[in-house]
Amino acid sequence: MEENNQALFEEEFEMPSRPLETLKRMWNSVGEQHGRLLVVFVSVIFYTLLSIFAPVYSAGIIDLLWEKIQEAARGGQAFSVTWGSGGKEICTLLIIYGVTSLFYGLQNFLMASFAERLSLKLRTDISRKLDRLPLAYFDGHQPGEIMSRAVNDLDKNAEALQTGLLKLFSAVGLVVGSLIMMFRFHVGLTLIFLVFMAFSLLSTKAFSARTLELAARRQQCVSQVTRQVEEAYSGRNIIKAFTQEENSSRDMHRVNEELAQASKWADFVTNAINPTIRFINRLGQVGIAVFAGKLLLDGALTVGRFQAFFQYVYQAGEPLTEGAYMINSMQSALACVERVYQLLDEEEISPDPEKPEVVEKARGLVEFENVRFGYSPEKILMENISFRAKPGQKIAVVGSTGAGKTTLINLLMRFYEINGGRILLEGVDTRNLTRGNLRENFGMVLQDTWLFQGTIAENIAYGKPDAAREEIVAAAKAARVDFFVRTLPKGYDTVLQNEAENISVGQRQLLTIARVFLCDPPILILDEATSSVDTRTEMEIGKAMHSLMKNRTSFVIAHRLSTIVDADLILFMENGNIIEQGRHRELLEKGGAYAQLYNSQFA
Amino acid sequence: MKTVLRFMKPYKGLCFFTLLVTILDVAGGLLIPRLTADMVNMGVAGGDLGYMLEKGGQMILIAFLAGAGALAGSYLCADLSAKIGRDMRNAVYDKSLEFSGEDFQRFGTGSMITRTLNDINVIQQAVVWCIQMVIPVPVVCIMGTSMAFAVDSQMGLLLIGVTILIVVLALAVTRKASEIFDRLQRFLDRMNVVLRENITGVRVIRAFHKEKREEGRMGKTFEDYAESSIQANRLFAGLDVAAFTVINLCIVLILWLGGNRIGKGFMQIGDITALTEYAILILFYIIMAQMVIILLPRARVCIRRMEEVLKTEPEIQDAKDCVKGNWDNTREVLRFEDVDFRFSDAEENTLKNISFSCRRGETTAIIGSTGSGKSTIARLILRFHDVSRGRILLKGQDLRNLPQKELRQEISYVPQKAWLFSGTIGENLAHGKENAGKEEMLHALEIAQADFVKHLPQGLETRVAQGGTNFSGGQKQRLCIARALMKDRDLYIFDDSFSALDFKTDKALRDALKEETREAAVLIIAQRISTILHASQIVVLDEGEIAGIGTHEYLMENCDVYRDIARSQMKGGE
Repeated sequence: MEENNQALFEEEFEMPSRPLETLKRMWNSVGEQHGRLLVVFVSVIFYTLLSIFAPVYSAGIIDLLWEKIQEAARGGQAFSVTWGSGGKEICTLLIIYGVTSLFYGLQNFLMASFAERLSLKLRTDISRKLDRLPLAYFDGHQPGEIMSRAVNDLDKNAEALQTGLLKLFSAVGLVVGSLIMMFRFHVGLTLIFLVFMAFSLLSTKAFSARTLELAARRQQCVSQVTRQVEEAYSGRNIIKAFTQEENSSRDMHRVNEELAQASKWADFVTNAINPTIRFINRLGQVGIAVFAGKLLLDGALTVGRFQAFFQYVYQAGEPLTEGAYMINSMQSALACVERVYQLLDEEEISPDPEKPEVVEKARGLVEFENVRFGYSPEKILMENISFRAKPGQKIAVVGSTGAGKTTLINLLMRFYEINGGRILLEGVDTRNLTRGNLRENFGMVLQDTWLFQGTIAENIAYGKPDAAREEIVAAAKAARVDFFVRTLPKGYDTVLQNEAENISVGQRQLLTIARVFLCDPPILILDEATSSVDTRTEMEIGKAMHSLMKNRTSFVIAHRLSTIVDADLILFMENGNIIEQGRHRELLEKGGAYAQLYNSQFA
Repeated sequence: MKTVLRFMKPYKGLCFFTLLVTILDVAGGLLIPRLTADMVNMGVAGGDLGYMLEKGGQMILIAFLAGAGALAGSYLCADLSAKIGRDMRNAVYDKSLEFSGEDFQRFGTGSMITRTLNDINVIQQAVVWCIQMVIPVPVVCIMGTSMAFAVDSQMGLLLIGVTILIVVLALAVTRKASEIFDRLQRFLDRMNVVLRENITGVRVIRAFHKEKREEGRMGKTFEDYAESSIQANRLFAGLDVAAFTVINLCIVLILWLGGNRIGKGFMQIGDITALTEYAILILFYIIMAQMVIILLPRARVCIRRMEEVLKTEPEIQDAKDCVKGNWDNTREVLRFEDVDFRFSDAEENTLKNISFSCRRGETTAIIGSTGSGKSTIARLILRFHDVSRGRILLKGQDLRNLPQKELRQEISYVPQKAWLFSGTIGENLAHGKENAGKEEMLHALEIAQADFVKHLPQGLETRVAQGGTNFSGGQKQRLCIARALMKDRDLYIFDDSFSALDFKTDKALRDALKEETREAAVLIIAQRISTILHASQIVVLDEGEIAGIGTHEYLMENCDVYRDIARSQMKGGE
C-alpha cells in the first residue's frame, strides 16, 4: 500500500538526551500495562509469521489452480474450483487470513488505550507535582511552558506511540522475513528491489533537507504576517485615528504575498516527496516485472511466485520507506517524555512537619524575627527584618516597585522558605505548622485577580464552597460588586469565560475581594488590592474594608498613600529591607524617606 | 461552503488542471498492475522477450506520465492553496479595517486574530486535502471497477460490491468519529483552561488551601480527555481491522471466483494480480478520504467564523452624499449637542444628555471614575462609534456628514493605551505627518518631553518593538504625544495620556503644550486632578451624565462628585 507522508517531513526532530534511562522510566510508568504489552508482543509475533507465510501459501494456490486449469484445458474441459481442486487450499488461506485478522485486531485494540493510559498517568503525576513545586518554579517558568509539557508533549508522545509502537514491533520481522522469502524465490530479483529501495531512501533524505529549509522560510513569513495582524488589530484605533488604513492594507498584502510564495514552494516540495518515491518504486517494479517476466518465460519462476514476489515487495518496502520517519518520530516522542520527567523531577517544597503544632483561630499576633531571605541563597534580598504586628493592628507596607513588599507577604504565607530568622504566628514558628493550617488563618487579596472558569457565585465561594447564596450576595455587597453582578443577564450564575475576559479588571478585583469577605479570616492581607479601581470606588471599598478590618490584624500594601495614613504601623521598605517604621505622624515628623514619598505624591 | 467557492472562482482554470493531473496519477496507479498482469499472461502463454520489453517500455512511459501528473498536481495544489489562503487573509484583514470599534469588539481582538490566521489555515488545509484525497475517490472507484469489468463482468460486479461495502463502513465510522472528535476538542480546550488556571492561580490556590480540590478538577479533565481519545483510537482500530479483513476476503473471493472464470476461459491467470491491486487501491483512497472527511467539520466551523467577519456590514460607513469639510473657522471647534450613546447590546445608556463645547485656545478637561464614560467621549469624536441621539459638530459640521478620513485628519489624538508600531521611532512619528522632516520630529519630541530620543545611540532610527515594549510606559506615552503633535491641528484629544508620567514631567509637558496649542482646542481626559487643575473648564462625568461643568474652584464649591474625587486624591484621609 502506498503511504502518505504529508507534512511528516516538515518538523525537525528532537533527540532525547538520555534515551535508555528515559525508556526505562517509561517502562516503569506503564507498569500496570506490562501484561498487556506481553500479549501484544506475542500477538505481533504470530501476526508477522502469518503475514510472511500467507503470500507463499497463496502462491502455491495460484500455481495449483494454474496447473489444474492447464490440465483441464489439455483435456478440453472447463475447469471449476471444487473442494478437491483448489477449494480446500483457498479455504485454508481464508482461515490463515482470518487468524491474521484476529491477531491484527487483538493487538490494535489492546494498543488503542496503551498510550493514552500512559499520558493519563503522567498528567495525574503532573497535577500532583504542581501542588508540591515551590513558587520559585512558577516565577521562573512561563505558564505556556508547563502547559506544553502536560498537553502537547504528552499528546505528541501518545500519537507516536499509538501508531509507531505496533509498526516498530512488526517492522523488523516483516522486513527480515519478506527478504528471506524473496531471496529464496530469486536472488537477482531481490537485488533489483534493494537497489531501487536504496534510491528512494536517498531521495527521501535529499528531500527532507530541502523541506526543512523551505519550511523555515515559510515559518519566517508566517511570523511576519502574524506580527502584522496582531499589531494592526491591537492598534486599530491608532490606524484609524491617523488614517493609515491604506498603508496598513498595503503592508498586509505585501507580507501576505510573500507568505503565499513561500508556502507554495514549501508545500510543493513536501507534496512532491510521495510522487517521487512512488515513481522510483514504480521504476523498480518495471525492472522486477520485466526480469520476472523473462524468468517466467524461461520457466524459472512460477506464476504464483511471480505474484507473491510483488506482495513481498510491498511488505518489505513500506516499513523501509517509513523506517527513517518512524525512528525519528519515536526519538522525538522520547524527547517529549523526557521533558515531562524533568518536570516531575523538579525540586519540591519541604514536607509539612510530622507532628505539627496547631493554631486554631489566630488572634492576630504576627512577628518577624531577624528574617533573612533571598530568592537564591547567593543573592540575599532581605538582610534582617524584624517587626511585630499586634492583634487588631493595621500594618501598611510601602516602598517603590521592587522594594520587597510582596515578598514580605509571600514569606508570611510561607510561599517561600526563609534563609534565616523566624516568623511567628501566635508565638509559634510558622515552620512548625502545616501550610494548610497557617494559610487558613489568612485571607488574601492579590494584585493579579485570579478567577476560574465557573459561575460568579462559585468564584466568590471559592474559599467556602458550602456558602449559602445569601452569604455570597452579602459578601458581594460588601465588596461593592453586587450591583454590577445583577446587571449581568444571568446574575450570579453568569459563567466567567476564558480567563474572565467578559468583565473588566476592576470588577474582577472586586470579586476577589468578595471572595475574602466571605471567608472571614482572622488575618487579612491586601496586596495592592484596589490598584485597578478608580479612587472613588477605592474609597467606597475602603469603607467596607474598614469594617472588615476592625478587630483584625491586617497587612496592606498600597501605592496610594492616602489609603494607609491611618495604619497602626507603617513599614517603609527599600531594597528588601525595612528602613523606617512607625505611625504616619511619627514618620512625617522624622522627615525621612517616607515623608519625601508622601510629599511627592501630593505635590 | 459558498464563500470558499467564491474564493476559488478566480482560479477555475487552476482547479481544472489540478483535477486533470490528479486523474493522470490515479490512472497510472491502475494501469501499472494492468500491464504487469499482461506480462504474466504472456509469460505463461509462452510469449517472447520482445513482448516483455515492449510492455516494460509502456510501463516506464506510464510511470513517467503518472509521476509527472502527480508532481504537477503537487505544484498546482500548493499554488492554489497559497493563493486562496492569501486572498482570504487579505479579505478578512481589509474588512477589519472598515469595522467600527463596536463591530470589532463584537468579535474581540483575540478572536479576530484567530479568524485571520488559524481559521484560514485550517480552511486552506481542508481545501488541499479535499483536492488531493477526496476528489480522486470517485475517479479511482469508477476507473477501478470499469477496468475490472474490462477483465470480466463477474469480477467487475465483485469489485463494485467490495467498494460499496468499504464506503458504507467508512461512512459509519465518519459519523461516529466526528462526534467523538467534537467532544475531544472540547475536552482539550477544557484541559488547557484548567491547567492554565492552576498555574496562573497557584498563589490563590495555595492561600485558600485548595490544592486537593484543584487536583480533582484537573484529574477529571484529564480522565475525560483520555477516555474520549481511547474511544477514538478504538474506533480507528476497528476500521483498520475491518478494512484489513475486507481486503483479505476480497482476495480469497477473487481466487475462488477468478479460478472458475479462468477455467471457463473468460479471463487469464495474471488478471488475478491486477484485480487484487485494483481492490487495494480503491480501499486505500477511500480510507484516506475518510480520514480527511473526519476533519472537515472543524473546517466548516472555521469557514463559518470567517464568513461572519466577511458578512458583517460595517456599522459606520461614509454617507453617500458626504462632502469634504466645509469648515467654519469660528472659535468653537467642537460641540456636543444633547448626545446620548448606548452600546448596541447594552440596556443602559453609556452617555446621557451630554452637551458642551471646546473652543480655540481653551483646555477642556473631562474627569470621572472608571466606567463613567470618559473614554467613550473621545471615541465618539473620532467616530469609532456613532451617537444614539443628538449630534456632534466639528467646526460646524455634523460628524456623520463627513468622510471618516477627512474627519480624523482634522484631529490630533493621543490614545489611552500608549501604542506604537514596530519600526523606527521616525516611522512612528511619520504616521502623524507623512514625509515630515527630521527637524519637525525633533521639535515634536522636545515638546512631548521625549528628549531621551536624542540621547539614544540611533536617535530617530531606534527600533521600536511590537507594541513599543522596549520603552517604559512613560516613554511610550511621550512618544505617542509627539506623534500626535506632528499633526498640527485645531483639535487635540489627550485620552488619559499623562497617567504614566511622574508629576514633574506631567507639569513640564502641560506647560510646553500650552505654547504649542495656543491656537487650538484641547480636550484632556484624566484621572488625576492635578493634571487638569488649571483647565478652562472641567466636565465632571458621573455614570454617563454630566454632574457639573466649570473651573476647579467652581466645582469644588458646587459639585459633590468632583469634591469626592478631589478628596480621594488629596492629602491624607483627614
